[in-house]
Amino acid sequence: MNVIHQQTSNINKGQNVTPLKESTRRAERSKDHWSQLLERVGHSQDRSAYHELYQHFGPQIKYYALSNGLAHMAEELVQEVMISIWRRATLYDWRKAAASTWIFTIARNQRIDMLRKQKRSSSEMAMETEDLWQIPGDGENDPLPSLHRIIAERRIRDSFKHLPEEQVTVLAKVYMEHKSHQIVANEMGIPLGTVKSRVRLALNKLKVILQDQDL
Amino acid sequence: MSSHHPDEVLLMEYSAGSLSEPMALCVRMHLEKCSRCRGQLDMLNSLGAIMMDTSSASHIAATHSAEDVSEDLFSTIMNRLDAEQATTTTDKPAAKTVSTSRLTPLAKLLGKELEELPWKRQLGDVSVCDISNYFGTGERVTLQKLVAGGRAPAHRHGGTETTVVLHGAFADSNGVFEAGDMVVLDEHGDHRPVALHGEDCYTLSVLTAPVQLTGRFSRMLNPFIR
Repeated sequence: MNVIHQQTSNINKGQNVTPLKESTRRAERSKDHWSQLLERVGHSQDRSAYHELYQHFGPQIKYYALSNGLAHMAEELVQEVMISIWRRATLYDWRKAAASTWIFTIARNQRIDMLRKQKRSSSEMAMETEDLWQIPGDGENDPLPSLHRIIAERRIRDSFKHLPEEQVTVLAKVYMEHKSHQIVANEMGIPLGTVKSRVRLALNKLKVILQDQDL
Repeated sequence: MSSHHPDEVLLMEYSAGSLSEPMALCVRMHLEKCSRCRGQLDMLNSLGAIMMDTSSASHIAATHSAEDVSEDLFSTIMNRLDAEQATTTTDKPAAKTVSTSRLTPLAKLLGKELEELPWKRQLGDVSVCDISNYFGTGERVTLQKLVAGGRAPAHRHGGTETTVVLHGAFADSNGVFEAGDMVVLDEHGDHRPVALHGEDCYTLSVLTAPVQLTGRFSRMLNPFIR
């Protein structure tokens, strides 16, 4: 049984269960703009769609590199991520992830890869970055219930706006600067427990954490 | 489905890509068996995408300058793709064979079955295979094998030990751990695992600091558990 399915069905408590085909059609309609563009790149190598993705995500990827202290590699990272997007667009499945999430994981993996290659020669890399950091089951034929995923994602996006600044700061340090919670604690001069509880409060508010009773 | 999960803080560090390779491998081996955490990770990755979006947006708002990406860079990218397309139309990259892509990263790393590894027998029921050298991160990374029905000597950890069950199951005072289950023990944990189900139990452990033994064979055993 899928987790997201269970979680969202809790939210919809009392409502009738939507038949699968209808829910797929509704999900199809709520596909976001970037996911549509990415599909066009995948289906027909659409260069104008690709250019629009570049204009939207390029600056984000560049800032992502800068936040990591990789100013000297920022443009290289943008380039590598964009090339990966083009090469893999045929594999993109909107039912499994929003385009933004899919692109985030590519940017993250490319960043890890570039740093690993700096440290040692690629022949010494015993494990592929991709193997280590990709969710198992990706590329397999078991898409998440798409409508539920889209609802969950939208909910995270909406409730994110209401998070207190101190929680956003911690999340930003973890995601953008790739700091462990311990390092974040040292940097901010607060106990590790405080950092962890801010993270947990944020994840609870965003409903990213599933309560055990939901399962 | 697994019943002992990485906590959300660890899972978030995995999602953010900030874990060391051995720790990422532990989480990855857990995800292999746990749909709950795969779902959770999906959402954490969505959060990552939101962070990437909002952080750059607020940076732009604060500095009044976008991190521009130039049209020149776009041309460079398109040229690279065109050049690539010209060379790969005749020479397509071979599709990964199903059997290889189904292997876990640990199986690929080891290149052989767990049973075939050069196990070093320690005291009684426990064997160990040190794979720290694959990583070079300074963490002690070991595979451990507890023979069916066997019991490991009581020990306490001087640092933090993260363990994921690869095959079989064991039980200790904290509960029963089946394949995929993950447990993080700090220096306060004192445990004596026993292998269950009449089969050998294999685990992967990452240790960030030495272990102290609490049993009477401490001197002898130190090399194994540390």
